[in-house]
Amino acid sequence: MRKKKFSLLFILLLVLSLIVVGCGSKEPAEPEEPLTEENNMEEGQATEEEPKAGGSIILSTTTSTENSGLLDFILPDFTEKTGIEVKVVAVGTGKALQMGVDGEADVLLVHAKASEEEFVAEGHGLERFDVMYNDYILVGPADDPAKIKDQANSNIVDAFKLLHEGGHTFVSRGDDSGTHKKELELWGEAGLEPEGAWYVSAGKGMGDVLQMADEMQGYTLADRATYLSMRDNLELVIVTEGDERLFNQYGVIAVNPEKNDQINAEGAQAFIAWLLSDETQELISQFGVAEYGEPLFIPNAK
Amino acid sequence: MEITLKNVKKRYHQKTVLDIPDFHFFPGKIYGIIGPNGAGKSTLLKVIARLEELSEGEIFYQQQPFRKEILKTMTYLTQKPFLFSASVVENISYPLKFRKYKRDEIRFLVEKIISEFGIEHLAHQLATKLSGGEAQRVALARALIFKPQILLLDEPTSNMDPNSIEIIEKIILKYNHKKDKTILFITHNVAQAKRICDEVIYLENGIIVESGKAKDVIASPKSENLRRFLSLEYYVN
Amino acid sequence: MRYILEGIIYAIKLLLSFDPEIYEIIGLSMYVSFASTLISSFLGIPLGFLLGLKHFKGRKIFARLLNTAMSLPPVVVGLVVALILSRRGPLGQLQLIFTPAAMIIAQTCLVLPIVMGVIFNSSRDKGTEVEKMCLTLGANKLDTLLVLVKELRANILVAITSGFGRAISEVGAVMIVGGNIKNHTRVMTTFIAMNHSMGNYYISIAMGLVLLGISFIVNAILYGRITGTGD
Repeated sequence: MRKKKFSLLFILLLVLSLIVVGCGSKEPAEPEEPLTEENNMEEGQATEEEPKAGGSIILSTTTSTENSGLLDFILPDFTEKTGIEVKVVAVGTGKALQMGVDGEADVLLVHAKASEEEFVAEGHGLERFDVMYNDYILVGPADDPAKIKDQANSNIVDAFKLLHEGGHTFVSRGDDSGTHKKELELWGEAGLEPEGAWYVSAGKGMGDVLQMADEMQGYTLADRATYLSMRDNLELVIVTEGDERLFNQYGVIAVNPEKNDQINAEGAQAFIAWLLSDETQELISQFGVAEYGEPLFIPNAK
Repeated sequence: MEITLKNVKKRYHQKTVLDIPDFHFFPGKIYGIIGPNGAGKSTLLKVIARLEELSEGEIFYQQQPFRKEILKTMTYLTQKPFLFSASVVENISYPLKFRKYKRDEIRFLVEKIISEFGIEHLAHQLATKLSGGEAQRVALARALIFKPQILLLDEPTSNMDPNSIEIIEKIILKYNHKKDKTILFITHNVAQAKRICDEVIYLENGIIVESGKAKDVIASPKSENLRRFLSLEYYVN
Repeated sequence: MRYILEGIIYAIKLLLSFDPEIYEIIGLSMYVSFASTLISSFLGIPLGFLLGLKHFKGRKIFARLLNTAMSLPPVVVGLVVALILSRRGPLGQLQLIFTPAAMIIAQTCLVLPIVMGVIFNSSRDKGTEVEKMCLTLGANKLDTLLVLVKELRANILVAITSGFGRAISEVGAVMIVGGNIKNHTRVMTTFIAMNHSMGNYYISIAMGLVLLGISFIVNAILYGRITGTGD
């Protein structure tokens, strides 16, 4: 008797969770056959489905891009227009590119131009397009012990020199991400080797690194979007900005469909077309204005 | 049922723990099995109960070699009663359930045996929480409820209070009142053996050193070892 | 300190707001963990009994391996399963990577050894005693098995509870094979990890409390059964 009650309860809980899940996300349909001319021409077909192909694409992008909230803002528009679900896998830039190399993703959205061009040159991607840019900023403790705000407010290389000279705590992404690559580029320009107890290589995402710098009262290079979205939780302030060398260009690339059979090439193309369209570019420029008074990303597709 | 042992040998890792060339247990008799620790008494019961295999030789049941059906008419009671984690009534019902008795029949038989054994007050208690004496009574009830022909009891009354011992002995004697059951009974209590056993077997190092009518063997043991053994038993009594 | 208190208040508000995204995440966690526990139980309990009662060659080695497998690192399991299910992996055509199904598979790999291990160990210990007892009472093989299952019912519940506990609380495996994809494979644990790395403390704490609460409730129900029956 008791045993029956127990298994009943168990099954009830299981059914409950199944219902909750079932009402929530819809399982994306399998990628369908590409629309041929014939299918398009067939009039008078009573279908309940969306006119365009359904299916899903895997978009590999960086953690900072996903964390900024931009994708949550613009992607529903894509799904509405095309019926294609976008599965966003957010990892470091290195991993995002690797997923492209391995054919694990259908399209990439990253911000490491040199690596992206190499990616295409090696045949892993079809073509690279500019999408938008945001900028990096140097943030640091409010009391600014390195006096960067006074002396190098718009010169990032000088700012880096000041940090190196004074041995002021600097937290680096240390994870081969776009941000990390940019940081290393700048050290290179300054002609300096960042080493020493003051240089902390975190191996973590942007959010974690900002937190760390906050806790340690140190400096770090961050993308403006992530910083703005976390600003309320941080005591860090902007000490350097506006230097052209701090530009962070985003690019979109369709992964070479010859890598394997599961790559949704049509979906990738649809995504790129949509991302570069005037409407979407306009949408991008609206993101963040309401909350922060300024757009977090500046569209610059050609 | 008659039990016959022929050339029975049991070995554990080179050591011979049982060596009985020829012995008969006859129905209607209660056999007391005595001997020092490690003599092989428990092993003897276990090989008859088929809980352990013989290394050599054969055991015959009513002149026939063993077959599975024999198991249903045999019962073995361990020294330490192993009861299932269920109520006393449920424990006692198990052998009848295994034999596919009807539910009404089971209830009737179980109630009858519970009152015979004087354990009505324990009927719905969890069997694993009983005291030694109570547990052994329940185990015995469970062992007897399906009226086995062969009873193999391994020290059923050790660690019991005198009152419980009396009850158990009465039950065993009553069970055999028709003199048709074969009962083997391991005990360290020589007085008990004298009280209720028809025959007594003295086992030492796996060998039956001496056997015969209980009163005779105990009063005038023939072998030196047995004499010494009996003289020490006054520690127990 | 302030964070924790405010987090608790935030948590209550969050749950009462019935935010569909949050409930979807909770639901998915339950679904994945229940499914993997259920599968592991259906496979692991019978197998555990079978192997615990039978004396076969190499049993000692098997026991050792099984006990090791009971504490497989989730992230390593996730890695291996991801390698197999990824597009260029041997089972890439199944398109399971980044789906709840993959998460269930990975979690089953973690939970199955636990369930099987508990049952194997307890039936190995208690099995022979029960078997022998049943033999002397005239039980056939099936009866004996049923009695054994009844005797070990407390152990069975412990096995299932431990298995579920592992499933609902791990983050490494589901993060790697699921990818923490919004609306698809985001569960409570990956949600917490992600939000923490974004600095969203309150919502992390809120979801953490929900996770603890669910763990507690499930355990309370299952352990209630044990103390109720095994007394």
